[in-house]
Amino acid sequence: MTATNDSDDLEALFDSIAGDFAPAAKPAAAPAAVAKAPVTDDSDDLQALFDSVAAETQAAKAEAPGLVAEETAGEEWPRQEAVFNRIGHMARLLHDTLGQLGYDKLLSQTVSALPDAKDRLAYVANLTEQAACRVLNATDIACPLVDDIENGARALGERWDKVFANQLGPQDFKALAVDTRAFLNGQLPEKTKGAHAQLTEIMMAQDFQDLTGQVIKKIVSLAQDLETGLMGVLLEVLPDTKRTEEVNSLMNGPVVNAEGRTDVVVNQEQVDDLLDSLGF
Amino acid sequence: MAADPKMRFLVVDDFSTMRRIVRNLLKELGFTNVDEAEDGAIALQKLQGGGFEFVVTDWNMPNMDGLTLLQTIRATPTLKHLPVLMITAEAKKENIIAAAQAGASGYIVKPFTAGTLSEKLNKIFEKMGQA
Repeated sequence: MTATNDSDDLEALFDSIAGDFAPAAKPAAAPAAVAKAPVTDDSDDLQALFDSVAAETQAAKAEAPGLVAEETAGEEWPRQEAVFNRIGHMARLLHDTLGQLGYDKLLSQTVSALPDAKDRLAYVANLTEQAACRVLNATDIACPLVDDIENGARALGERWDKVFANQLGPQDFKALAVDTRAFLNGQLPEKTKGAHAQLTEIMMAQDFQDLTGQVIKKIVSLAQDLETGLMGVLLEVLPDTKRTEEVNSLMNGPVVNAEGRTDVVVNQEQVDDLLDSLGF
Repeated sequence: MAADPKMRFLVVDDFSTMRRIVRNLLKELGFTNVDEAEDGAIALQKLQGGGFEFVVTDWNMPNMDGLTLLQTIRATPTLKHLPVLMITAEAKKENIIAAAQAGASGYIVKPFTAGTLSEKLNKIFEKMGQA
């Protein structure tokens, strides 16, 4: 969360709680690393708090250079507890607000539905993977069969060409007739039957679509509920012009809805045009 | 440089299905000397072992993504000459430009056809012949 994403209301709330709160001294061991973590994204208040803690730590270190990290960290604890307490106050207030608005029920429903959605998506991934494997296995079996048919037919065809060119003796012609009959009655039907069986297998491998379709529809509706719920909460909590930063990443996966977007391409032609226009 | 059917390909994708499809398509095009890697890091290891002449890679992969793989290949003296064809679902213009700037030899968006793969390969072979 960045400072720019906080609403003024939240800031005000934070300030008021911070004002109420009087930190109690309660020494306890805490990892020193926490105080040293980068704090560039925190609000100004937090920044100031951390700065003061950091300054103290520095001072303590300067005074007693032999002190081990755990001992200096003990002095930071009251400050950290103050932060945790404030966050706790805010969470409580948010919780109460949500309860009053009736969103808590909606959210708890949605949250309980999420593990279910996870299972469902895993099921979809599983079924589609199985289907892909079945299809690829089927083509692995069918392709050599079709190749055999092609090669057998071509070999016989070439021999028949010789017959028509008067290049074949009666013995060879007889052998060709026998081979052709064997090909037509034996190899050809056997291999086409085999290829046909694989085509049927490919067709049957599509049966996942019915099942995944149903599951995905359920998840889409869940996502819509979740979106509506969260959007409602956001609108209540962040009434003004706060916007989340646009996700800026180079790994977004497939574009599922390119409508109205100018930052994406929708087909290979557009890829090629773009690259051409850039001189690549 | 004419396309040598013995040319050794490395197909990099984290999904075995896509690796199989690309392998099969390459076979249809006459290239049977194909090895596979499931992410950029494994691909780099295999490439450093030597013997590869062409890399076909996905973008979004664990451990090392395709762009980093491409950048690493271009920054490695022994590998930088390798043609790298990206086949990816990433369809933002930003991606395509980044790939081109990093030195990709070609860019194919998924879903793609056998015809597209063949066309892009030939284009790359042509360019390699001119170089």
